[in-house]
Amino acid sequence: MPHLAIDHLTKIYERGKVLALDDVSFSVDKGEFLVLIGLSGSGKSTLLRCINRLIEPTSGRVFLDGTELTALPQRELRRWRRKIGMIFQQFNLVKRSTVLANVLAGRLGYVPTARTLLGRFPREDLERARRALERVGLLEKMFVRADQLSGGQQQRVGIARALMQEPELLLADEPVSALDPATSHSILKYLEQMNRQDGVTVLCALHFLSLARRYGTRIIALKGGRIVFEGSPSEIDDAKFKEIYGEEAEQVEVR
Amino acid sequence: MERKQSRSRSAEQPPIPLTARVLSFFLDWSIWGYIAYGTVYLLNHYWYVAYIDWYGRLTLPWWGWPVVVIATFELALLSHSFGHSLGMRAMGLMPAAEGLDRPALRKRRLRHFLASHISIMPLGIGVWASPSEPWHERLSGLRLVRLPQREEWITPPPRWYRTEWGIMTLAILGLTVTLGWHVTGIHLRVLIAGAARPARLWQGLTHPDFTFLIYSDPWLNDSIVGALIESIFMALLATIFGAGIAFVLSFFGARNIMAGSLPGLIVYGLTRGVFNIFRSIESILWALIFAVWVGWGPFAGTLALFIHTIAALGKLYSEQTEHIDPGPLEAIAATGGSRIEVIRYGVVPQIVPPFLAFTLYRWDINVRMATVVALVGGGGIGRLFFYYKDQLDWAKVGAIIVAIGLVVWLLDYISGRVREKIV
Ligand SMILES: Nc1ncnc2c1ncn2[C@@H]1O[C@H](COP(=O)(O)OP(=O)(O)OP(=O)(O)O)[C@@H](O)[C@H]1O
Ligand SMILES: [Mg+2]
Repeated sequence: MPHLAIDHLTKIYERGKVLALDDVSFSVDKGEFLVLIGLSGSGKSTLLRCINRLIEPTSGRVFLDGTELTALPQRELRRWRRKIGMIFQQFNLVKRSTVLANVLAGRLGYVPTARTLLGRFPREDLERARRALERVGLLEKMFVRADQLSGGQQQRVGIARALMQEPELLLADEPVSALDPATSHSILKYLEQMNRQDGVTVLCALHFLSLARRYGTRIIALKGGRIVFEGSPSEIDDAKFKEIYGEEAEQVEVR
Repeated sequence: MERKQSRSRSAEQPPIPLTARVLSFFLDWSIWGYIAYGTVYLLNHYWYVAYIDWYGRLTLPWWGWPVVVIATFELALLSHSFGHSLGMRAMGLMPAAEGLDRPALRKRRLRHFLASHISIMPLGIGVWASPSEPWHERLSGLRLVRLPQREEWITPPPRWYRTEWGIMTLAILGLTVTLGWHVTGIHLRVLIAGAARPARLWQGLTHPDFTFLIYSDPWLNDSIVGALIESIFMALLATIFGAGIAFVLSFFGARNIMAGSLPGLIVYGLTRGVFNIFRSIESILWALIFAVWVGWGPFAGTLALFIHTIAALGKLYSEQTEHIDPGPLEAIAATGGSRIEVIRYGVVPQIVPPFLAFTLYRWDINVRMATVVALVGGGGIGRLFFYYKDQLDWAKVGAIIVAIGLVVWLLDYISGRVREKIV
């Protein structure tokens, strides 16, 4: 049984009647580092958000470890979301809160609501936050407001927040699009480390093919909401590349 | 020649809806009616050419009204045929004919104008009979089309003050200001000539009498400082309780929080409606109500400020909540947080600093309002103010004004500094 299975997923946005995902099916095994590529507007963000149902798909099903996420009531869904970490292109930190508060938010699914509303997290969660921040090298920034950090540091806080969930699956929506090449690599190395050491399955949308080749164990390419390529990174030759990105596209190397 | 017509690459267009046509025409007609009325009013003011009664109603001889109606109608037709009138502009329309030079175009416009008389004049028969291409357009070859969208422009449009609708707007604005000048009875001469009359008042105000600054006035049983403290407390309590309730209500009045379900949207609409209605009722009216309800005094004033504060802050808070960054909300929902946790960890940290700033600002306003509320029995410093004013004791009034000014300035300064720190 695959870890994650996507079955005929379709999403039509009511506003504007946009067909963002068109009958997408694929599956992911445990421990894979799957990279989604495709032009802007090809449906990468929509696909990732349909998996943890931040966006409700119009039709189709999503299975995680054999459980149909798309059939779960809200309460159950929240319990399953704990296992699915997510990091974002714009980092999505609460800018006015401290780094620690942002990281602790990763435990919201585990701690009873009555406690979190008072802001009282268990001691072991504080310890966990410390370890997560240490891992991304931001221990000394623990009590700094998130908006005081650079983009790369903010994304590392985002990773620490995902680490707090102790996820089995990590969804990353263009985690490095707002960052420079050197920082991009350092962020993606954290994802690679999570993938290799902790055995977290990673689904990562990326813009650059060179990054996708460097980090992905498998690549899925979307175009106009459909899968146009699925295979190993080495299989993407010039012809395939033109098919995915269009005739005029040039490859850009990000080192 | 080319320029005016081919400002856009207009492709084949869907027909202009009948309502847009009719509305644009009636708009133009009423604009010309307004201009005619205003002009007559002004003419009358200077030369007595018509009779205007005490209520400002214009009275014309029996043949006058048909003349006005027909004349304005003709003017509306003219402006419709010869360019972009304000009415057409408002409906996003303009008359156009492809590829003509200027004299030919002018001829067509004239034909359009004349044909309008058989098409529009008999109760718009030519329009009702063929709404997609009325008779006068068919006869003249000048068609009403949509104004080109910005993306379709190929030459820059003329500056607004060189277009017909621009000039019309300017004329209306000028006429309105002139009319307003007469209606509100502004007389600069009187303003200057009467400057010496309130001399005793000036004298009193500039020589404030601080006898009862700290000692109580035996008649009122209150001193200026005592009453000021009362006012500040009124404002403070109204702000604190009002802000607390507004905070809770503001979530129901924020579209991004309530959207997603029909009941949510209904609650949103109701909350916003209540905010708007309560806000549009001045606190002095609330004070009037509460003065009857709980009796004269600071309690009534506090209640009045409280109600107004809820509405005003509630609206500001809701709007602030609508403008937060949705990213963190998404992130917290993704970790498995419940709806209320999303609000606690995603929304609240984003809105608390601006809320504090608004609240301080509101306290400021409430202190100022607390003085006025006394006019109808709200208590506080205003009570002293209106008492001395009725006694024509201008020196004591002056003292109160100085005291209020000082306190308001101080609060303004402090809250300004604190707000800077917070936001
Ligand atoms: N909330 C929405 N309402 C309506 N249409 C939307 C919405 N979000 C996305 N779309 C449309 O759905 C399509 C897919 O968008 P999506 O954001 O998934 O693409 P993407 O591959 O993530 O692009 P990018 O690389 O720019 O992030 C686009 O055509 C977009 O315009
Ligand atoms: Mg995207």
